[in-house]
Amino acid sequence: MNQTPIQGYAPTPVTARMENHGSSMLKVAMQTGQDLFARTGSMVAYEGYVQYDPNPPAVRQMASQWLTGEGMPLMRCHGDGLLYLADYGADVVCLQLNGDSLSVNGTNVLAFDAHLQWGVERVKGMAKFAGQGLFNVGISGTGWVALTSRGTPIVVDCGRGDDETYVDPDALVAWSSNLRMKGKRSFKASSLIGRGSGEAYQLGFSGEGFVVVQPSEDSTDRLRARG
Amino acid sequence: MAREFQRGHKAKISDLTAGTDLYVGVQIAGPGLTFDISCFGLDAAERLSDDRYFVFFNQPKSPEGAIQQLGAQAGDTDSFRITLDQIPPHIQRLSFTATLDGAGQMSQVGPGYLRIVAGGQEVARYSFTGTEFSTERAVMLGDVYLKDVWRFAAVGQGFDGGLEALLRNFGGEVLAEEPESQAAQAPQAAPAQAPAAAPAFAPPQQTTPPPAFAAPAAPSPAPAPPQAPAPVPGPAHQAHTPPPHQGFPPPPGSTPPPAPPAGQMHAAPTLAAGIAPPGFFNDPGASSGGGQLPPPPGPPGVPGVPGQPAPYGQQPAPYGQPGQQPYGQPQAPHQPPQQHAPYPGQPYPAAPQHGQPYPGQPAPYGQPAGAAGAAGVQAALQKYREVPTGQRWTLQNPKLVRVDLGIDGQPVLARQGSMVLYQGKVEFGYKGAGFAGRIVGNATGQELQLMRCTGRGQVFLAENAAHVHPIELQGDAICVSAESVLAFDETLQHEVRRIEGHGIPGGALFTMQFQGQGTVVVKTHGTPVVLPVTPSTYVDSNAIVAWSAGAQVIISSQVRLRRSSFPGHSGEAVNLQFRGAPGNFVVVQPYEV
Repeated sequence: MNQTPIQGYAPTPVTARMENHGSSMLKVAMQTGQDLFARTGSMVAYEGYVQYDPNPPAVRQMASQWLTGEGMPLMRCHGDGLLYLADYGADVVCLQLNGDSLSVNGTNVLAFDAHLQWGVERVKGMAKFAGQGLFNVGISGTGWVALTSRGTPIVVDCGRGDDETYVDPDALVAWSSNLRMKGKRSFKASSLIGRGSGEAYQLGFSGEGFVVVQPSEDSTDRLRARG
Repeated sequence: MAREFQRGHKAKISDLTAGTDLYVGVQIAGPGLTFDISCFGLDAAERLSDDRYFVFFNQPKSPEGAIQQLGAQAGDTDSFRITLDQIPPHIQRLSFTATLDGAGQMSQVGPGYLRIVAGGQEVARYSFTGTEFSTERAVMLGDVYLKDVWRFAAVGQGFDGGLEALLRNFGGEVLAEEPESQAAQAPQAAPAQAPAAAPAFAPPQQTTPPPAFAAPAAPSPAPAPPQAPAPVPGPAHQAHTPPPHQGFPPPPGSTPPPAPPAGQMHAAPTLAAGIAPPGFFNDPGASSGGGQLPPPPGPPGVPGVPGQPAPYGQQPAPYGQPGQQPYGQPQAPHQPPQQHAPYPGQPYPAAPQHGQPYPGQPAPYGQPAGAAGAAGVQAALQKYREVPTGQRWTLQNPKLVRVDLGIDGQPVLARQGSMVLYQGKVEFGYKGAGFAGRIVGNATGQELQLMRCTGRGQVFLAENAAHVHPIELQGDAICVSAESVLAFDETLQHEVRRIEGHGIPGGALFTMQFQGQGTVVVKTHGTPVVLPVTPSTYVDSNAIVAWSAGAQVIISSQVRLRRSSFPGHSGEAVNLQFRGAPGNFVVVQPYEV
């Protein structure tokens, strides 16, 4: 078989714990002792000896805060090998935290190092989303995190004068944890923005930090939708 | 958006920016190569009649300070600040050149650029690659010259023979003394600049596959290039155990110039990797304030660009610390031991270490130098940063467009729900039924709901990760399928047209015709194809995005609906046929709605 046309897609040598393979696949170099939390169902391939624990106690405890009755959204991966993760073709962004902290929209978390400090965050003004299964993971420490984004994301700095930054909650991917956040509801009857029935709701951010936004209002959790 | 220049292009500075305080950044790098970026202040005869206006690493500013060399920062290999209105009248041309230091030739150069930043925004960029050159040892990148008014020209002319020959070209008399100072400089420059090479070509590494050194598991056996990367792989992926790196790891013995400064230089990146980031990020204020180094043209990059006098005010005096202020706290504590005391007046050694931890370049997963990783989130997100350009409509990435309502205060009409983010005081209002009502006639509910964005601020528009294409109309007209309209300037005249045809879902295809001066943003699923209109151009009505209205106002004369006569062909029942004068086009997306 002539493999020339597909040779360009062979894996590249590993240079870091997490790397992109193409724009929408994540390659994680797994090692014993460096466990990983990944979204359940995000594994597309692996090489070597990697094991999955779909219901780790640590997650169970955390997850009780945000989920009722659904499957665990995270699985613990351990072993040695190369792990490939993807989320329905969404763009993958790998970040290396160095003691900084980040809040990530739950549907946009793909994987993170198990030794990072993480927890489910309750953000004021987010109550509206509780019913939509939207959860919010705060991650801090030193290690790697991989996010997904529908389309190429954009990073915007908040700290610019008095102007606050308002984000469509469906498009929000992640933000610096130190930002102040508040919900903003447009009460004007004539104001109709946002998706759906005219409920106008945005999240306002202020302070020093950045916000990552995806160019899509599609916040469907495809991994979970698949079950 | 920065204006892209090609070799030979010229423009008036006043067309690019109203300011006279320019920042000129040069990025040029190649594997194993080091460069001297210089600025020649030439007289009307293009001679270097006054050698005080030869601004280079040994003479970082002209007497009155109109030309200052700032060193590496914000992703640039070297940078200059030019204050046009302070340049004395006998200096009529500033020629920016890059010369190779050491062995090599220009054809080995990776992609680079010369750019002009004014008022915090990049206004011009001339990109080049090594393939444009051959065996040259120097290249004249661009000129800022006075011809009635100040102008910029992208030169891109290679030059055999390096800096000396370049000097000889610009003025014979200087030749006698300059080469001497060059020679005197050489022994110092050589060891000092060798380590600088690593940071210098860090950006290209990001774009090319990084050298393969062993998996994260193996910090030690890094057979990396003989520069800084060797110690750094450790911090890169073992950064979660920073303490070990806080000590000064011994510099790898493989370094060719084992001079003391070289050792320091090796320690430097590692330090930056191990220590700077924690300090950097533990302080939230610092992490996003001036201490951060976002993309050069970005708003946070402002500290490094003109229009913000503060950083500059501090730079000229100790020019050996280029960029230190802008890059802020993280390195300040570690700076003193790395000060190039050994080489006063030699800005290069320090510059790279500023540049390295915060490569202003797209960032780098697993960049072997590890420095980018050390900068953590900020560096990794670098390539996704907002790109402010001062224009009304800016494509931020293929799927996201930014409109700055403050530019001319005109409201924008956008599809409802397409706002993903906004900054500033922007009001969103429902666009009344006067317009929408005409569309609502559609039985399928395929109506175009618009919102009106007014106020002051920046609005980011996107929808469903579809590709977006701003189309600027200058008095001409275009028809866009209603489903493909994302946003448009309210100044445009727009009318809704209805193309009826059997077999079209809902009974008709709604299109909007735009005309006038302004921008329409069209969205497509996937990369579209633009077809010229020929006598036999047929398009599936579900895949049509837009077509030029040409000179004809009445669109229906151009569009004829045909019922496909292929028997048994149920899927492609409706095609649109286009007819028009040559020059008209049709835009089709690879997606059938």
